[in-house]
Amino acid sequence: MATSEEIMEALADFQQQCNNNKRLRRMQRDWTKVLHFKGTETGDYFTMTVEKGEITRNEKGDNGVPDIIVETDSETLCDMFWGDINPTQKYLRGEIKVKGSQEDIMRIDAITAIIWPEV
Amino acid sequence: MSIIDDILNETDPVKIREETERNYREHVNPFALRMFKNASLDIIEGKRSGASVWDISGKRYIDCVTGAGIFNVGRHNTQIVEALKKALDRYDMGGWISIIRERALLAKKLSDITPGGLKYSLFCCGGGEAIEVAIKLARGHTDRTEIICMENGYHGVTGFALPATGRDVYKAPFAPLAPGYRHVPFNDIRAVEEAITEDTAAILLEPIQGEGGIRPADDEYLRGLRKICDENDVLLVFDEVQTGFGRTGKMFCAEHSGVVPDIMVLAKSLSGGFYPISCAVFTEEISDFLMTHPFIIINSFGGTSLGALVALAAIEFIEENDLPAHAHIMGKRFIKGLLALKEKYPDLVIDVRGMGLMLGIEFPEESIGPRMAYQLNQNGVISIYTFNNPKIIRIMPTLVITEDEVDFVVQAFDKSLKEIRAQEVRFKK
Repeated sequence: MATSEEIMEALADFQQQCNNNKRLRRMQRDWTKVLHFKGTETGDYFTMTVEKGEITRNEKGDNGVPDIIVETDSETLCDMFWGDINPTQKYLRGEIKVKGSQEDIMRIDAITAIIWPEV
Repeated sequence: MSIIDDILNETDPVKIREETERNYREHVNPFALRMFKNASLDIIEGKRSGASVWDISGKRYIDCVTGAGIFNVGRHNTQIVEALKKALDRYDMGGWISIIRERALLAKKLSDITPGGLKYSLFCCGGGEAIEVAIKLARGHTDRTEIICMENGYHGVTGFALPATGRDVYKAPFAPLAPGYRHVPFNDIRAVEEAITEDTAAILLEPIQGEGGIRPADDEYLRGLRKICDENDVLLVFDEVQTGFGRTGKMFCAEHSGVVPDIMVLAKSLSGGFYPISCAVFTEEISDFLMTHPFIIINSFGGTSLGALVALAAIEFIEENDLPAHAHIMGKRFIKGLLALKEKYPDLVIDVRGMGLMLGIEFPEESIGPRMAYQLNQNGVISIYTFNNPKIIRIMPTLVITEDEVDFVVQAFDKSLKEIRAQEVRFKK
């Protein structure tokens, strides 16, 4: 089980990688969303705010109205933000629960594909 | 050896997959490849026959997508193959400026088999292009500009067709689009009445929304639209790209309601699954516009000798084998099986609907559609959710599907739903 601090640390790393990637920022420039992540066994929520492709905030708690809700165990959440798993594969195999539009889910996968193309 | 021999004679599935994925990744669309692989849709088609496709590795699938209705006559129909071979022995495409005999024969045939007074055909290559032709004819004929179309409708992604497609995600990156399109809720006659203006040229819709989630238009709604069009000198345009050529249990979906449009757009299975061809079929009255503008809508590759011969062969096969009737019978068998699954999985299956072999199964939330498609692919069925409504998995097999193959698909749905239910239980723990 990953702690809240570990997940926040992984989120911060993910934020840095995304925001420092010019190609990704250009690709996602029309994407403004609020994402909630929930650790299923801990019940902890995390909120990521994306504005025009830039991750502007990561916070503990379920803040704002989410466009996308991602639910999985805390270890998988960490793995997702560290780039250790392919989140779309996990989603389609029913190991990650995602509520949101398919277009937004594809956008999340595009982020992963750019930052960790080998995953 | 020529490059063609090299390609066709290579049989090592590992080598073919490595080469194809590398070329896709480096020269086609790396993200599309990734999505296909994620969804277990990375099937490289080898043998194709009847209702089935074999991956190069030899795994057999029942194709329940069929390019959204391209392969009504079956995958790699040998009768069409023979027609195309004979045509190739004698013809090339035919000169664009020449009078093309086969084009005229196909136009006559379409006039014979389409309902009412639909008489003339303008040919192009794809469905979107044919929608553009319909919109140009409507504007040219009426001297008005506005096109009323439907929310969640899908009419292609080319110039004049894209604004008619009723989903912003396809349109937003390409603004500004051609103006003059107004979207109203589907199956809502009052919404159309309120949207009609003196500048309305046409009402454009699919008689069954395909990408919108296999949503049939009510017969009363279609009759109401016909009445509104007649009263306001507005043209009624049916997009039968997906529903045409026997798919819904009649040769054309319009026949179910008895409502005859002024323009019918056809594509997909007109190709026989071999040679791209599409067309707008329209009334003599509308053809008056072409009397004064005979070369204003042209297409280099539309209605060629080869394309028209293949289309004639495809129509002949559909008629000789009465595929509309077969689609009706197989559709009933599907519905019976799927309704039993609705009883078995009431938490997962909200609705089963459609006509003939254009069927949809609706789930309570958007994530289940893609997950079901993944499971179905694991269970030997190629399937995908409808693009404008991912809650719905479409079932659009070839119209030559057999009873045993229908039962196989229903069993695959059963296995897949069982797995999805297990996933949902795990999530709730």
